[in-house]
Amino acid sequence: MQKIEAVIQPSKLDAVKDALVELGVLGITIFEVRGHGRQKGHTEFYRGREYAVDLLPKIKLELVVAEEMVEKAIQAIITAARTGRIGDGKIFVSKIDEAIRIRNDERGEIAL
Amino acid sequence: MRTAGGEPTDRETMRAEYERRMGAIRRDFDSDGDGLVAIAARSALVDNLVSRLWAAEVEGDAALAKGMVVAATGGYGRAQLFPCSDIDLLFCANKGEAEHAKDAIRRVSQALWDCGMQVSPVTRKVSECERFSLANAEFGLALLDRRMIAGDAAVFARLNEKIREKMMARDVKTIRAEIVSLTRERHAKYGDTLFHLEPNIKDCPGGLRDANVYGWLRMLEGTSPSGGEFEDAVRFLAATRCFLHYRHERDDNTLDWRAQDAAAELSVGVGRVRLPGGVDPAYWMRAYFRHARAVERSLLREFESNGLALATVEVRRVKLAGVEGFRLKDGRLILDAAGNVDPATEPETVLAVFEAMAKTGARLDGESEQRIGAAIPQLSANLEEGPGLWRRLSAILTGERAGVALRAMHTLGLLDLILPEFHGIDALVIRDAYHRYTVDEHTFVVIDTLHGLEADPGPKAPEWRVKLGSMLRELQNPGLLYLAALLHDTGKGRAGGHHAVESAQMAKGVLARLEMDAYDAALVLRLIETHLEMSAALRRDIFDADTVRTFVGRVQTHELLRMLTLFTYADIQAVHPDALTPWKAENLWRLSMNASNQLDRNVDEERVHAGGKDERIVRVLALLPGAQAAAERFLEGFPERYLKTRPPEAIRQHFEMTRRFDEEPFQISFQHGASTSEITLVTQDRPRLFAGMAAALAAWGMNVVTAEAYANEAGVVVDSFRFTDTFRTLELNASERERFVASVRDLVAGKASVEKMLSGRKRGKRRAPRVSVTTKIDFDETASSHSTLMQVVAQDVPGLLRAMSVTLSALGHNVEVALVDTEGETAIDVFYLTHGGHQLNGEQESELRDALIEAIAENAR
Repeated sequence: MQKIEAVIQPSKLDAVKDALVELGVLGITIFEVRGHGRQKGHTEFYRGREYAVDLLPKIKLELVVAEEMVEKAIQAIITAARTGRIGDGKIFVSKIDEAIRIRNDERGEIAL
Repeated sequence: MRTAGGEPTDRETMRAEYERRMGAIRRDFDSDGDGLVAIAARSALVDNLVSRLWAAEVEGDAALAKGMVVAATGGYGRAQLFPCSDIDLLFCANKGEAEHAKDAIRRVSQALWDCGMQVSPVTRKVSECERFSLANAEFGLALLDRRMIAGDAAVFARLNEKIREKMMARDVKTIRAEIVSLTRERHAKYGDTLFHLEPNIKDCPGGLRDANVYGWLRMLEGTSPSGGEFEDAVRFLAATRCFLHYRHERDDNTLDWRAQDAAAELSVGVGRVRLPGGVDPAYWMRAYFRHARAVERSLLREFESNGLALATVEVRRVKLAGVEGFRLKDGRLILDAAGNVDPATEPETVLAVFEAMAKTGARLDGESEQRIGAAIPQLSANLEEGPGLWRRLSAILTGERAGVALRAMHTLGLLDLILPEFHGIDALVIRDAYHRYTVDEHTFVVIDTLHGLEADPGPKAPEWRVKLGSMLRELQNPGLLYLAALLHDTGKGRAGGHHAVESAQMAKGVLARLEMDAYDAALVLRLIETHLEMSAALRRDIFDADTVRTFVGRVQTHELLRMLTLFTYADIQAVHPDALTPWKAENLWRLSMNASNQLDRNVDEERVHAGGKDERIVRVLALLPGAQAAAERFLEGFPERYLKTRPPEAIRQHFEMTRRFDEEPFQISFQHGASTSEITLVTQDRPRLFAGMAAALAAWGMNVVTAEAYANEAGVVVDSFRFTDTFRTLELNASERERFVASVRDLVAGKASVEKMLSGRKRGKRRAPRVSVTTKIDFDETASSHSTLMQVVAQDVPGLLRAMSVTLSALGHNVEVALVDTEGETAIDVFYLTHGGHQLNGEQESELRDALIEAIAENAR
């Protein structure tokens, strides 16, 4: 099992979600976050006043999938979230030792 | 096993009997739909089983015959056992008999469980029931509804005596206070409203729990629940709860969408005869809400008569000057007694009452409420529409507690009387997974949320919250935003098209009846039409230039953008308490800021080409049959902003003004308004026109709030100024309005001297500004291919526009387009300038900057 964490543009959430559901991914956790990578922030002027836009709104997705699904899920996210511009986001993948369903104590991939 | 009377008490037989008789009760309910009969029948059935089981115990142990009683409490005590309700049994001992009865109590309880009942047995001594304990308030309240089932009648008599003489007499205040506290807590859990899309018919405001609370309060004061609408409501709710228990096969009282459909199909609670095919679910839900309102109303009146307050909102201490026909006393609005004429039948008085309610949050006393409710037909006959009604409605909408007043008006039918368009969304359920409230309640929550922005956000508030608060405070005419909010979803009550378009269509009738100023009416309509645009833009990339440009194309003016930002904030918030996260709110503010920055950037570049098939051009031309070619020539070359922000009727008027140039080359239209007035000059372009208008208005002491100056390809200019009348000259002297227009015309035409008029004016002492704004001037040569954009941000003081436009004229710069705006004490003015038909060069920009800074400073002195 692997955990995929993806930070994407908020406007791409629906497309990414649909792509993952299409693939058969059953569970996704979504966070509303702010941050910056290479995109960094910038300064805006509003009606004569200066405002720093240093942290940009992003959506972070977390999903844990079985080994055979990992690459497909990554490709689905990339395809749905890519615009080719700076700020498209990042994907991080890490190993998961165990998954447990609280309701019935099921363990392993069956608990996903 | 059998009782002495020969009735069986073995578990198998009793279970079979219970199931058989429960089946019969259900069949009866399915046939006659009478919930009250069903719950009484189940109570009687359980009474019988409990009695038999206890009798069997007493037969086996004669010592149990004395000193113990078995009583029903809570809902069972009221003989209202819904199909899946718990059974609250009290085994009450005179003194120490309970210990001896322990095994018997266990066996009785076990037998009832084995029959399939959820039993909650409690064992107490009489002495343990004579005090109301806050630590176990639920038990104390359940004791109020007690009923003997079996056992020693003397013990029950003693229990009754102790509860009446000790608990109810001594602890009555504590009981009442606890009832208030529990009810407030429960109502708060449901957002203090009964208008939920999927209500819990037991616990929601207006539900059966409220009916119980009402009953307890009546009991504590020694009276019984009154009949009428309350009785009808309880009958309806009882039938519905029975239906839900049978449907869900458990004590689940949530009236979800599927249950609503099924209840409507069976016409549950709607008459004794089930209608073939049932009724429309929307109709059935309205019946539910009507009954829930009746329960809530009865409860509120009972609270009032006990001197209790359910609402946690404090009544604001506001001085109500010059009110007639009513008074504010002890936090209640009370109509004067009827004399020759009952004040309840006078629209002016009644609207003034609701205006006072909107200001203070005070509610009507019960009698006044009933009088107004009964007087609706006379009010309907006496109500006059027009500007007077709009003034009253605007005062209600902008009152800090507008939500309290609007809900009360809606409940009494007064809101529907003024705005019949609102009737279509009365208690309307729209099945949307994200929404929590009915459409009418959602509308009121939008208005509450907007008023919530008026409160001090506190020192730790995020930037977006502070900015939204000041945006609301700085609106020139907030009544327009609130009116748009009130009407924005009325289209949901109509089948068919897009609800924003339908709502705008319906609003046209309202605006016509209120005889609103054309500019204000157009703003309200555009706000309603575009009320979903910003939410839609938020789902896209708000930092993407195309997204922002598309959004800006729909909004067009700063005034609409501000209102739309505020509206969108409130509209999302009113969907569900958790719908607007701080993340989303900040994105909203960022989008507003990006759009504002983009708004004035391409105005000079995007021009009308009348040969196209733009829908707006078609609408204007349709108003000018027989003059279409001339009208197309008129439209050619105006900035698109002009076409997009002016209603077709206003553009027609401007066109017709051009046809009178032979009689008068300086055509002026003037519209006097209560808060802002508008003057428009239509003439052939010539130097210093804009400066002349600004100077003329300054000479009359008028404070320009917004202004727009546009020219078409043929050199016809349309310069519009919206201004406030600082000295109320035109408001107090209607005869001066004609002189004002003539004077402005003379001043613009150069027939009179502005300087002479200005020198004759005494300038009043200016108050110190609350916010100090530093003058900032920026130039942008990229916004237009042939003109230079200049943005001036400065302290808004009277005469500012004149000072700037005179400076521009003096330096020989031509104003191609002007967009003048005010935000609180900040003036934000955008000019597209040319010099000799070209963009300004660096030297000219530098010279202009210095001259303007000096002129602005001089004007402010």
